[in-house]
Amino acid sequence: MAGATRTELVRQDTSGTDAVAAVAVAISALLFGLSIVALADLVSITGSVAGVPTVSLLGAMLVLLGGAVMAFGVGSRLEAVSTTPDTTAGLVAGVAAGGLWFAVGSGIGNVLVGGLGAAVVGLLVGAVAFAATVIPREDIGSTVPIGALPVLTGLVFLTGTLGPEWVFDLGWEQGASLTAEFVIPVATLFSAMIAGWAAAKAYGGFGARGRHLGAYTLVYLNALSIVAFLFVLVAFTVVKGVPGLLTGAQFGPGAGPSTTLGLFGLELSVRLPFSVPFVMNGVALLNDYQGVLPAIVGTVWLVVGAVLFAVPLGVGAAVFLTEYAERGRFTQAVEVATNGLWSTPSIVFGLFGFAFLVPRFGNGKSLLSGMITLGFMLLPLVLITSREAMLSVPDEYRDASAALGVNKWQTVRSVVLPAALPGVVTGVILGVGRIAGETAPILLTMAGGTFIPGSQTVDVIGGFEFTASPPFVANPELLQATSALPYQLFALITAGVGLGENVANPDEFRWATALVLLMVVLSFYAIGIAARYYFRRKLRYE
Amino acid sequence: MSDTPQTRQASEVDEPAETAPTTTTTTRTTTTGESDERVREEWRDHEFAGPAKLSVEDLNVHYGDDHALKDVSIDIPERSVTALIGPSGCGKSTFLRCLNRMNDRVSSARIEGSVTLDDEEIYQEGVNLVELRKRVGMVFQSPNPFPKSIRDNISYGPRKHGDLETGLLARLLGRADEDEREELVERCLRDAALWDEVNDRLDDNALGLSGGQQQRLCIARCLSVDPEVILMDEPASALDPIATAKIEDLIDELSEEYTVVIVTHNMQQAARISDQTAVFLTGGELVEYDATGKIFENPESQRVEEYISGKFG
Ligand SMILES: Nc1ncnc2c1ncn2[C@@H]1O[C@H](COP(=O)(O)OP(=O)(O)OP(=O)(O)O)[C@@H](O)[C@H]1O
Ligand SMILES: [Mg+2]
Repeated sequence: MAGATRTELVRQDTSGTDAVAAVAVAISALLFGLSIVALADLVSITGSVAGVPTVSLLGAMLVLLGGAVMAFGVGSRLEAVSTTPDTTAGLVAGVAAGGLWFAVGSGIGNVLVGGLGAAVVGLLVGAVAFAATVIPREDIGSTVPIGALPVLTGLVFLTGTLGPEWVFDLGWEQGASLTAEFVIPVATLFSAMIAGWAAAKAYGGFGARGRHLGAYTLVYLNALSIVAFLFVLVAFTVVKGVPGLLTGAQFGPGAGPSTTLGLFGLELSVRLPFSVPFVMNGVALLNDYQGVLPAIVGTVWLVVGAVLFAVPLGVGAAVFLTEYAERGRFTQAVEVATNGLWSTPSIVFGLFGFAFLVPRFGNGKSLLSGMITLGFMLLPLVLITSREAMLSVPDEYRDASAALGVNKWQTVRSVVLPAALPGVVTGVILGVGRIAGETAPILLTMAGGTFIPGSQTVDVIGGFEFTASPPFVANPELLQATSALPYQLFALITAGVGLGENVANPDEFRWATALVLLMVVLSFYAIGIAARYYFRRKLRYE
Repeated sequence: MSDTPQTRQASEVDEPAETAPTTTTTTRTTTTGESDERVREEWRDHEFAGPAKLSVEDLNVHYGDDHALKDVSIDIPERSVTALIGPSGCGKSTFLRCLNRMNDRVSSARIEGSVTLDDEEIYQEGVNLVELRKRVGMVFQSPNPFPKSIRDNISYGPRKHGDLETGLLARLLGRADEDEREELVERCLRDAALWDEVNDRLDDNALGLSGGQQQRLCIARCLSVDPEVILMDEPASALDPIATAKIEDLIDELSEEYTVVIVTHNMQQAARISDQTAVFLTGGELVEYDATGKIFENPESQRVEEYISGKFG
């Protein structure tokens, strides 16, 4: 590593002190993670981790972190550690430290004097912290006021001043209050973040390199927290949903229902080696275990239908707008209209489907109405992203094609569209994520009984029939009312129609439904990513 | 170019030019190549034997308010190499793009005047642009291969014109021209001096080639539709001397069958490969057009002489 070599060359024998700063960065990352996990209730504040009460553990780590940061700063000032600090920590650091200390000060003031006095104490403490950050040299300014914060927070935790039972009444009309469950992780999060920043600066020896490392740490922690949030969300759903999903599940040869595969007249009967009633059953009176198969199939067909409807229309419109239409009033108007359509609330689409589509397709809620309604919702996003993708195809390709005497349509088809495909696919992925989770339009256009015994699984492929009169095909299945996962979940939560008689454990059932919905959406997502990867590969030269 | 220098030039031009047009004393040349020298009609008249392939008459091009080409008239002989030289921004590419109507694709461009190809006006109603561009091929200033395989890049034009059947249907019907395609790809790549470098990776994406290889691929692609006229905009600017020499040999060979018009910034190259040279100078004017030897040894215009000897531009 270039950095390591530089350290060896310029600073002598600093590995020990560097380690202090490095450990401080590590502790702050750990604390950061812990506080996120605690916020998500995965670690209990009132409980303990590895035998140590959680609060004490957090407190001890905070004190250690703050102490290390301050020690490094003071050491640097006393020239015990060789660093390259600037003359001041800067205004931004000052404002950050001042703000945080203002919050702490007013909290303390509230306990000691209360009322307006709290604000005065807060301002005073904040001003001192600001001055202490801005006036001294950078190594003191960016470590001591900031390091003192986790030390203080840690001591408060350790001494039990702010124990797990603590509640702070905000004094609002609605009786809102801050509990320790919330305040402790949040305080830890902020202390850890700012101390981590200071520690990273110290690790870089302050100055330009320190600033770079500090910013890097902050940005990195932020990105980490996004990933952590996603992970927590998925993990939460999985943990809650798996028991319901596996109710009555059996694995092993011969456990599953038999399926018949028909291939060229050859009928092959297979018994699946597993049985998961939750995703294989519908709801029926005689079922041992109830399941959500109709809703899964409904969701899948809904998405497929909406994509089949929206992609050709959207891509076609995008081709017209980018390649054929003169840029001007008209294209601008279309652009504004599409953006508006994309921001239109889904319930409005639902109402449109209800008032316009439902009466035209069999005068009842149906899968077809749902598909088309969601297709209309998907259309603007497909149009917008396809248009962006086509606009970003370099004009050189079009020129090259035109110079070979190839006409416009062939150029679009053979050069522009392939180059734009990855972008189009990205748009479809995003859109599918949105429509697959829509509840309101489904409620109005296609949902039949959620929990009516005997609720049907639609068989779209098997439903095609040939008829004697035009249009020669019919598909009664498309005109059936059916369920979809988000709607089912919604109905389960709000109404709980007949839940008690049908399902042993309604709460598990709900979480399992949510988990299945998540899995369905994520598998569409995976298909989309794979498609995009494939098209990208074709365009690049890996 | 802003308008001011041009107007200034116009107002100053008349008086000194009348008195002594070609003597050095009356010609003041600024660093930008503007001067009060007056362009003379006869400097642009180039007599040659045989018919003119392309004939340009009073061509004017405006980009919005920007007058990019001014009254250009020039006849380009068949089966020869014509070089266009001049400082950057003088309108060489603009001129070239007028010859196959690629400027139609620039919405701000306004083109006036006449261009005939084999005595047929190409700026008239009812011209089939597809046919025109098949006959007048073009290689662009910066290489622009398609993000497709090398083979597909070359066979693209013929496939789209229906000269090669390689689609799924043709394959199913047993009518696919696989052999013809392979022949075509090899011939074009050989002609463009690229075959030896890429013959073992025809299925690789063309964007993985080096800049110079990409440019030769573009030349090969242009040859694939068998044009009559080939317009080249600095085809060798991204090439090393060896590849440049190959391209120059290629151009030499091509000129036996094709009419080649080439823009270049390289004087030696223009002198080596071209039969006649047209010199454009700043402001979009064609200043002098004559046999290459005459232009490089004894140009009529003072400014052209200075440009060629490297005093400006
Ligand atoms: N698409 C366009 N839109 C507006 N102005 C243009 C356009 N293309 C060229 N111009 C202008 O026309 C003039 C001539 O440009 P042109 O590209 O023909 O120059 P050139 O002689 O090819 O220069 P170079 O040697 O640098 O390639 C320039 O002033 C340029 O700014
Ligand atoms: Mg040019």
